[in-house]
Amino acid sequence: MASLTYLEAIREGIWEEMERDPAVFCIGEDIGVYGGAFKVTEGFIHHFGSERVIDTPIAEAAIVSAAFGASLTGMRPVAEFQFMDFISCAHNQIINMVAKANYRWNAPAPLVLRGPSGGGVSGGPFHSQNPETYYAHTPGLKVICPATARDAKGLIKAAIRDNNPCLFFEHKFLYRRIKEELPTEDYTVEIGKARTHREGRHVSVITYAAMVYVAQEAAEILATEGIEVEIIDLRTVAPLDRETIANTVKKTNRVVILHEDTKTGGLAGEIAAIINEMAFDDLDAPITRIASLDTPVPFSPPLEKFFLPKVEDVVREARRLRAY
Amino acid sequence: MKKSESKSQAKTRAKVVGKPSPGRSSTANGRRRNGASSDQVPVRKNPHGIPDYRLEVPSFRTVEEWIDGQLRYNVEGNLSPDPPPLRQSKYLNKQQSLEIYRYMVLNRKMEQALENLFKQQKVVGGVYLGLGQEGCSCASAYALREGDWIGPMIRNQGALLVRGFEPRDVMMQYMAKSGAPTGGRDAGSHFGDKHKRHIAAPISMLGDLIPVLAGVALGARLQGRNIACLTWVGDGGQSTGPTYEGFNFAAVQKLGVILIVENNLWAYSTPVDRQVVCRDLADRAIGYGVPGFIVDGTDPNQVYDVTYEAALRAYAGDGATLIEAKMMRMRGHAMHDAAAYVPKPYFEYWKKRDPILRMEKYLLDKRWLTAQENNELIESVQKKIEEDREFADASPYPDGSTAGESVFCDQSVEIPFLYGHPKVKRVEKKKLGAASDVAHFR
Repeated sequence: MASLTYLEAIREGIWEEMERDPAVFCIGEDIGVYGGAFKVTEGFIHHFGSERVIDTPIAEAAIVSAAFGASLTGMRPVAEFQFMDFISCAHNQIINMVAKANYRWNAPAPLVLRGPSGGGVSGGPFHSQNPETYYAHTPGLKVICPATARDAKGLIKAAIRDNNPCLFFEHKFLYRRIKEELPTEDYTVEIGKARTHREGRHVSVITYAAMVYVAQEAAEILATEGIEVEIIDLRTVAPLDRETIANTVKKTNRVVILHEDTKTGGLAGEIAAIINEMAFDDLDAPITRIASLDTPVPFSPPLEKFFLPKVEDVVREARRLRAY
Repeated sequence: MKKSESKSQAKTRAKVVGKPSPGRSSTANGRRRNGASSDQVPVRKNPHGIPDYRLEVPSFRTVEEWIDGQLRYNVEGNLSPDPPPLRQSKYLNKQQSLEIYRYMVLNRKMEQALENLFKQQKVVGGVYLGLGQEGCSCASAYALREGDWIGPMIRNQGALLVRGFEPRDVMMQYMAKSGAPTGGRDAGSHFGDKHKRHIAAPISMLGDLIPVLAGVALGARLQGRNIACLTWVGDGGQSTGPTYEGFNFAAVQKLGVILIVENNLWAYSTPVDRQVVCRDLADRAIGYGVPGFIVDGTDPNQVYDVTYEAALRAYAGDGATLIEAKMMRMRGHAMHDAAAYVPKPYFEYWKKRDPILRMEKYLLDKRWLTAQENNELIESVQKKIEEDREFADASPYPDGSTAGESVFCDQSVEIPFLYGHPKVKRVEKKKLGAASDVAHFR
């Protein structure tokens, strides 16, 4: 067993897949000699050579398209966005070229588009966003948002092995803040399966990525009051694990949906609709959403703190639901 | 000019849209042999040193005129010369020339059949024609080898035929039938074939196939093969960001992407002079740092030779090539568009440069084709079109309930290497050490 940070887990996952499968290669900005803005691919170019660790011009549309083109020949590219905010520069390529390829012309696109997303680091409006829901909305894409080092490694490996385009959102707040003992043997984590992060009987919090830890802190406070919170870590936001979502509601009858992305049109609305479809009769209280403010992600620490969902929000809403 | 401009001001006032052209001659000066130009005709260079294979360098520009309070396009310049014969090909033999000619005729007859099907309301949606551009599509695609890729756009339906699709495939695409290559999931020329014909399916957004084909060339290179990847973009499409991103990526990575900029003068209704200020789009090659060439897009020999040489550079690992093919789109953007905005003299000028008429004359003059053989060829193409039209017409529509299938590729599907096991550096397994503690944000 080795103890690895969330970042190191992703790094090791890609490294092992590149050692295992010569089809896998990395492409992106500053990923070679520099090793990436966050050092996810540090050391890769020396081990695998510049043929398989390709530094590109600053051109996200070209990076995604070139990865797609290479995947047509049977390669399995892992493309890095320096920050997931820049995925917008390749939006057209992802939703029109890549996502529709298998459906339109039977051309599977086994590629991974990965990079750091999320706030809490005063990155400002262009280095903090959570753009996953744009892509969760697009048929043909798998969208992965891991919360633990173990899942990050298992899911990046599963994404690389998957025959479909996978978007892999790494939460930059977690990169070096969490650390975990990981199995030494090869393992993957199934895409599309949620995980029960904490068991509880009274209120469910359905969440993913860094918000899992906000929920956890809230759950610890609530436990002292006798409120047992169940935390569901979705791990994958497309496809959503509908069964696990429904089952936790059937168990606790009260649900908070929590995400760091902004509220309007966010994933919580979709999850609420799933609960409505699958477990309406099991609800004892209204479904509650906690999400970021409907604003750009502000830069200054007090502003960003106010913008992001907080432990107190979860504690307050869970108490309210418990008493409903 | 503002809409408010009064009629009195607007008698007939011309405003130059394009840059005035430097005075250039407009006739070929090559020796003639049996009506064909000799292979001694020298290649000009444009003012920026780009080789220009054309045998005539017409001087015209689109101008704006106010007539009775309405803005119209007109053309200024000398459009009276007759076209020169085709440039002699350095590479094409009789059989190859005849095959290209046949594909061009097939391309046109197929599109005529599509037009008829459209008028009979058997087509779902619009029909996009490549009238006047058949020589460019067919001859350039013909210059490739097996294993090379193409990424066709809407006016390159001839290239699809050259790479092995049948007219019935294109017809069924337009008719949204189950037998179509996409089974009715996408329209018209929006289809491809990864495994056999190596065609990347286009999307409606322009320029996007350029970086995709760069990626295909990259994948092939990782598997040990330098291939040629040919794609086309219009004078309109080349305005997009992905065009620059993709072609620059290909240039930097020395990937064998051959980009033919089909300068057909009109992007839907917008004259090329409203897309770019530069006179020759091939000049962009200088900025990309790749070889650039200008050809007459209605001369299949020029198109073939320059594309063929670009492909040889691709195989040698010498990277990308930019080719500007000059011609005119002889119909509207799609069937609904009468192209009333195109000044008539343009049509008259380019009609004389119809690539099929020019190629036919070339073959007849060269005695590679007799009038009787030509009639037989046209008849056999017509017969093929009739058969395919009947086949396509009889094909059923897809079962609507299959609409939900194959959004994703099943994990049981094996995705093969198209060019063999990757030829990448062999690595011994090595444990990865800790990442250094450097981060852009904490």
